Amino acid sequence: MPFDQALRFASIWLASTSFIGLTLGAGLPEWLAALTGAALIVALLRNGEGKFVERLGTFTPISATGWNLLVIVGFLGFWVDMLWVSGELLPAGLHFLMILMIIKLFNLKLRRDYLHLYAISLVAILASGSLTTDLWYLPIFLLYLLAGVWTLLLFQLTKHPEENRMPTMSATMRAQSRASVSRVTPQLFWLANGLALATFGLTLAIFFTIPRVSAGFYQKGLGENVRTSGFSETVNLGEIGPIKRDPTVVMRVELSDGSRYEAGRLYLRGVGFDQYDGKAWTNRLSYRRVVSEDATGTFVLRGSRSPAPPRLGETIRQNILLEPLDTPVLFAAPLIERVSGKFPSVQVDLTGSVYLPFPSSSRIEYSVLSRSNPVLPTDLSSEPSLYPESFTRHFLQIPAQSERIAGLAKEITHAQRSTYDKANAIQSFLTHNFRYSLDAPLAELDNPLEEFLFSRKTGYCEHYATAMVIMLRTIGIPARLVTGFLATEWNEYGNYYLVRQQDAHAWVEVHLPHSGWITMDPTPPSIEGGGSSSPAWHALGRMMDTIRLQWSRFFVQYSAADQLAVMRELKAESTSARNKALDSMSALFGPFIAMFSGIMEYAYKGTIQSLAEVLGPALIGLGVLLWLGIKRPWVKGMVSKKTTRDEQVIVQLYEKMVKHLAVKGISKPITTGPLEFVRIAQAKWSDANSAVASITELYCRARFGQIPPTREQLSLAEDHLRYLVALDKP
Amino acid sequence: MNSTDIIRAIQENIARVIKGKPQVIEMSLVALLARGHLLLEDVPGVGKTTLAHSLARSLDCSFKRIQFTSDLLPSDIVGVSIFNRQKQAFEFMPGPIFANIVLADEINRTTPKTQSSLLEAMSEAQISFDNKTYPLNQPFMVIATQNPAEYHGTFPLPESQLDRFLMRLRIGYPSPEEEKKVLDRPQLLHPAEELQPLLTAHDVLLLQEQVDHVLMEESITDYLLAIVQSTRQSDLLSLGVSTRGALALSRAAKALSLVRGRTYCLPDDIKELAPIVLSHRIMVARAQGLRQRSFEQAERIIQDLVDTIPVPV
Repeated sequence: MPFDQALRFASIWLASTSFIGLTLGAGLPEWLAALTGAALIVALLRNGEGKFVERLGTFTPISATGWNLLVIVGFLGFWVDMLWVSGELLPAGLHFLMILMIIKLFNLKLRRDYLHLYAISLVAILASGSLTTDLWYLPIFLLYLLAGVWTLLLFQLTKHPEENRMPTMSATMRAQSRASVSRVTPQLFWLANGLALATFGLTLAIFFTIPRVSAGFYQKGLGENVRTSGFSETVNLGEIGPIKRDPTVVMRVELSDGSRYEAGRLYLRGVGFDQYDGKAWTNRLSYRRVVSEDATGTFVLRGSRSPAPPRLGETIRQNILLEPLDTPVLFAAPLIERVSGKFPSVQVDLTGSVYLPFPSSSRIEYSVLSRSNPVLPTDLSSEPSLYPESFTRHFLQIPAQSERIAGLAKEITHAQRSTYDKANAIQSFLTHNFRYSLDAPLAELDNPLEEFLFSRKTGYCEHYATAMVIMLRTIGIPARLVTGFLATEWNEYGNYYLVRQQDAHAWVEVHLPHSGWITMDPTPPSIEGGGSSSPAWHALGRMMDTIRLQWSRFFVQYSAADQLAVMRELKAESTSARNKALDSMSALFGPFIAMFSGIMEYAYKGTIQSLAEVLGPALIGLGVLLWLGIKRPWVKGMVSKKTTRDEQVIVQLYEKMVKHLAVKGISKPITTGPLEFVRIAQAKWSDANSAVASITELYCRARFGQIPPTREQLSLAEDHLRYLVALDKP
Repeated sequence: MNSTDIIRAIQENIARVIKGKPQVIEMSLVALLARGHLLLEDVPGVGKTTLAHSLARSLDCSFKRIQFTSDLLPSDIVGVSIFNRQKQAFEFMPGPIFANIVLADEINRTTPKTQSSLLEAMSEAQISFDNKTYPLNQPFMVIATQNPAEYHGTFPLPESQLDRFLMRLRIGYPSPEEEKKVLDRPQLLHPAEELQPLLTAHDVLLLQEQVDHVLMEESITDYLLAIVQSTRQSDLLSLGVSTRGALALSRAAKALSLVRGRTYCLPDDIKELAPIVLSHRIMVARAQGLRQRSFEQAERIIQDLVDTIPVPV
């Protein structure tokens, strides 16, 4: 493809990517998007080849004045748009920008026009960047970068032919200059793509190292918070059921060691409930205490503060990325010991549920240290004990008319003696004798619990858990209902649990005299949902989710703290690399190295350390840029490696010729110019003249004119030299 | 027709009038394309005026001739304000300088005041009169002549003013054969009047712009600077070449490359141009002899200096 055509193509491509970016960022109304898209397609067609296209290319319905008028109209429209239609500067500006782009696309004549188009594209891609934080921006941006490198390269390469062209000097000259226009070679193709890649790498390096302000001013609201149910102070029985088919992602949970939880199922506790009135659960213990802040952003709920009996349970460290929900509850594996995150404060109620002061409107990340609560050996045989009234009022409360349930509970547990065994008996009774189904319209009934236990025997987690709590309470064992999520979907690509709305769950916490509250779950594992799509599709989905998570974490939420972390890691690695290098070199340059490393250590120990961490890479980047700028001949050499090689060949040929002539008695004084030497040679040896003149001309063109000789010219010059060597001087 | 062909056609056109002096014609074109001014220094009657006239004729440019005499005043060059009775106001009447090609004949015969008014116009390309600025026509080229044979009643131009001329040329007598051709020509009409214009003023401007895009490779620039440097260090000279001189040589070399159909400069261009572009910008040390005949002497010194500088390979 010739350069000028490639330039037009790349320019339109550049404009297209920025336009797609804007469209995906919802920055354009449909009609404008359609119009711009059409303009881009027409521009692309005009750039193509063929008869129809040529006619299209020459067809210009509107004169230059007309276009200028259109710009003015567009500008007036911009004011109207800003003041009355959109009412805001940014959307109106974007609309105007697109109109300018359309007009420019039809007027790509002078180089100036191309520059205008680039400027418009740049503004557009920047604007779309400020409109969105979604993942699709990354590929668009990559495409834009690639197109940008291409256009700049081609723009530079086409510069000379066009500027030497003389508009009034007649057509032959123009044809001449067009004939000399180079084409896109495979080398150039790979070079340009490589450059784009390098640029992207540099961009990443700058992104991760150079401090910045957080962006996204014009970002549209992240949408509505995900609606959840079961985490308010009152939960009707059957409220969780409808959401059990909703695949919306609620949170992602990473475990500190990066591996899956051994049990496979991770309970993420939300809210506990103590009161059941026969239809709904209520949390009477909802008084929230503000948790003390240990260090900045770390809130200790228990453990170090209250010297509770040493717990033998394993600790679970979780890193949780919570989507914006309509509840302020912080979910985590029970029982939570400490929470750290960027929160102003954290509250806890008496059932051990943790809350933020208000629901977050954006995605939040926090980490939790939990300690699971195992059953102590003493509790395996302990019988139900007596509890204080303040305790029984909450956790032994049963709704009226539950004699039938009490009878059933007694019947199941009469063989067992210890509290723990009784609880286990009820759990296994529920697990094995009832059918799990989401289609259980129990909520409308007067007494859903009895209906579930005695007639339908079909229900889901809420029913199972409620039944178990009430049955335990009728036989004097304190218990409470807990809602939250049961994480089962493990993402093996990102090593985290993906938790969706459908993972909402309700289970039971039973109080044992010595162990305290332990988690029990009477619900049998769900057999519904899932199976319809293939596992490969699921794997792909998980992979996409991983990429989305990384995008969110490393780009959208990337903060100065993360930057410092990256720098620290880099520094650690560079230190180790430096140490290795020093070790291997110390044998040779011992004393120098000692001095050098001393200076280095000194430099690193001072207060400039953190500054150096940030500035160092920035300076290196700047240095590379400067070096590239200074070494322009090198860059040029890269662009046309072939040129350099051929140029060298002809220069060597010329030198050989001069040497040969010197042997024949025609020496070239160092103060003689090449053409002058041709005249000298002609005067002394006229037979050789044509060969000398032709080699000299090629040499001059390559050496001083930077016009590389063609292959044919080179072989011709070699022939001339051979002829010269063979020729006898009279 | 491309630029090289056009330039060749103009050369042939002028050569129909100026017989046997292709180099002088070529150099005058170089001066024109390099946006420079030309100083012709030679005895009367060798075709200085005819050269200027035929150049102007070939270009379809306006041409004015000013005969410099000792009583010439600046207003005779620049123009005067005349009271217009109908408009009841002064009106500027542009002088002969408002032409594309101005022949300043025997420039050393007039007073320094008048000389400097012309030289100012040459460097500024505009005229200030009555607090108003009048831009001169473009292209604008002054071809000045002076007669080295006569010194009585002349005001020689100082070196600082000579610096404004891009090059100083000698025409010299034609060879007997060429002179015979001149004599054989029918004398009914001035030969320059027969010439047909080949270029418009606009085309000249475009060609001048093209000169800017001629490539001067780095080693050639270094070569040029080495020559300039050598004039500043030479014992034979009391004043070396200024930076303006170096710039002039660079521009002239580019223009010469274009005239010769190249898009790049060669060391030969510099070497060839150095004597005629630099010789009037230097001052020969007093020890080197009398001021008279300094022209040939300066050219020879420059030539000798150039011959000591290695050419880039």
